[in-house]
Amino acid sequence: MVVCTGCSLLCEDIELVLKDGTISQAKNLCRKGHAHFQALFIERTRPMIDGREVSLDQAISKAAEILKSAKSPLFYGWSNSTLEAQAAGIDLARRLGATIDDTSSFCQGILMELVLTGKVPTCTLDDVRNFADTSVFWGADPSNSHPRHLSRFAYYPRGEKRQKSYEEERICIAVDVRKSATARLCSNYYFRVPPGQDAEFIESILAVLDGKIPRFGDKKRMIELGTVLRKTEYGVIFPGLGMVYSLQEKMDLLVRLVAKLNEITTFMVLPMVDHYNMRGFNQLLLDETGFINRVSFQGGTTVHGPEQSVMAAAKSCDAALVIGSDPLSALPFGTARALAKTSLIAIDPRRSLTTDAAKVVIPSAMYGLEAGGTSLRLDGVKIEFEPFFKSELLSDEQILAKIKEAI
Amino acid sequence: MEAEVTIVAFQDIFQNEARKKGIYTDEYRQLSAQIILDKQDITRLGVKDGQRISVKNEVGGVVVAAKISDDDPHPGLAFMINSPWFNQLVRDDVCDTSIPGFKRIAARVSPSEENVTQISEILQRMRA
Amino acid sequence: MVSAMEIYQLLPREACKECGYTSCMALAVALLNREKKLEDCPSLLNPKYLEKFKKLKELLAPLEKASETGLIIHPEKCFGCGNCVVACPVNVAAEPTRCAVGLGPQGDRVILAVEDGVVKCMNIKECKRFGPNRVLCNACTVTCPSQAIEFV
Repeated sequence: MVVCTGCSLLCEDIELVLKDGTISQAKNLCRKGHAHFQALFIERTRPMIDGREVSLDQAISKAAEILKSAKSPLFYGWSNSTLEAQAAGIDLARRLGATIDDTSSFCQGILMELVLTGKVPTCTLDDVRNFADTSVFWGADPSNSHPRHLSRFAYYPRGEKRQKSYEEERICIAVDVRKSATARLCSNYYFRVPPGQDAEFIESILAVLDGKIPRFGDKKRMIELGTVLRKTEYGVIFPGLGMVYSLQEKMDLLVRLVAKLNEITTFMVLPMVDHYNMRGFNQLLLDETGFINRVSFQGGTTVHGPEQSVMAAAKSCDAALVIGSDPLSALPFGTARALAKTSLIAIDPRRSLTTDAAKVVIPSAMYGLEAGGTSLRLDGVKIEFEPFFKSELLSDEQILAKIKEAI
Repeated sequence: MEAEVTIVAFQDIFQNEARKKGIYTDEYRQLSAQIILDKQDITRLGVKDGQRISVKNEVGGVVVAAKISDDDPHPGLAFMINSPWFNQLVRDDVCDTSIPGFKRIAARVSPSEENVTQISEILQRMRA
Repeated sequence: MVSAMEIYQLLPREACKECGYTSCMALAVALLNREKKLEDCPSLLNPKYLEKFKKLKELLAPLEKASETGLIIHPEKCFGCGNCVVACPVNVAAEPTRCAVGLGPQGDRVILAVEDGVVKCMNIKECKRFGPNRVLCNACTVTCPSQAIEFV
């Protein structure tokens, strides 16, 4: 059995048959996971400096040289690295007085902070399978982002208290701006919310739960939703990026909604983290600094705030180390351009816009495929994995150790 | 003909798969460089499914292919898959939470004669 | 997918009953269920119906790809999510400690399994839609997020 690092579900029931150096058969991998495993053979990186191929040692010493002379380096990425590599990264950032941030900074961080600091109750995915009768996908489309979420946990499997599962005992609700693939499966329980109006939608649910008339949305349907939520024995809200970007600074409304629901019944929150170990980084940094992301160690102190976010630091840094991430593809144009223009070091197994713009490229092993380690699944459960493919490539933590040594 | 739309980004499993095959593949460009428009907006712009559309705002612009939405009517609202093409339109000066507004991008759309923006052009813009 | 009505409208509708059915509508249903072939209708072989015959051949072509229970998988649409694997009552009964609780199957008694990122169909005779006591189970189609499985 192999673990799939294609998304934060970290599916552990993957069976592979290797033949002539390729994967000739893969059982139980979804389309996304299958593409992730096939990527092992496509567009791999080579050690480079300024677009010229060099030896691995040369690339590593160049990276060390850039970081050593930098006054305010930025370390970014981390959500596609193991806990071991993340710990090495935080340690190196501390030693260099660097700013460190991860992908949660522009996506699920705000929600993850609520979960990790106990502001909203949470549970494991196994609890979801065993006990949940109502799952709410809010601005999330797991069918596309976490394809096996519904079959392994939220909707279709039988669990300890849910032997009749989706046929009789489980309901899935989708709240979204568009009728996503997941929303189509929720049929009667799909609620369309126009962009940016999730706050009004929450206020309407709160009103209904208080027995008042909702001011937003179709009154009859809102009352129907209120009834479903009230009747729930064990509910779980799975917020996605749609909710994060819509609520932003009004995230306390979610806290209020969850508190209200917990006066009536049991309701948990599990953010739909995308990358397989984003939660791991947030947990580690929280344990070390009290903050889940956006931390600067400059001058031996720990500073946290918007100025330490990748969006701000990309513009103020004089060197950037990007690991296992492609911010040039994923971040807004202005941030991407700022990163492209700085002294950029990219540690990545595969070619991306970021490696193409980087001054130094250091190839790495693909975690879960060529290197082992531990990660936190989206619900915080620690999953260990072994590599199944022999490789000469160094893992992220080995590369970071070499950079540290060279500095 | 020009129209104002609000663009919301989303994830797509096939585009994600194409990305793993390589960001310079035709498949990745075809699946990324498209904008899903409501039938009414498509009619108003006088374009057909697959026709090229210029999408512009104060941040930047791209040329992508039009795709007719099969969702319930949503005039004025458009959808794009998360990609470097979409990110050409996203502001990076952000509010208190420092989260860019990926889900609500105001832009102007109009039919275009230009070629669909290539990812190599996007990389050039970043390095310029 | 083609309907019995569409097939009916292209049949000769001469009420000859030579196919063994009392009406062309009954034959249309039989054609849809693949219990009869177009060649079983002698009138249709008359050259004046050549155009209709060709059209019907075209309409019924996708049915030939369907399994004996009428199941068609469109792998190009499949997400590989395994919803059908976990929902299928035959899979659940065959692997109560795996498919029933959301995991991929290990044995070879299941009907549906995800391989290389897409669903595959096997042991079709075990499907509840098969044979004389068949029931119109649709667990695999109603749980599919992308209409990658359908029954004809």
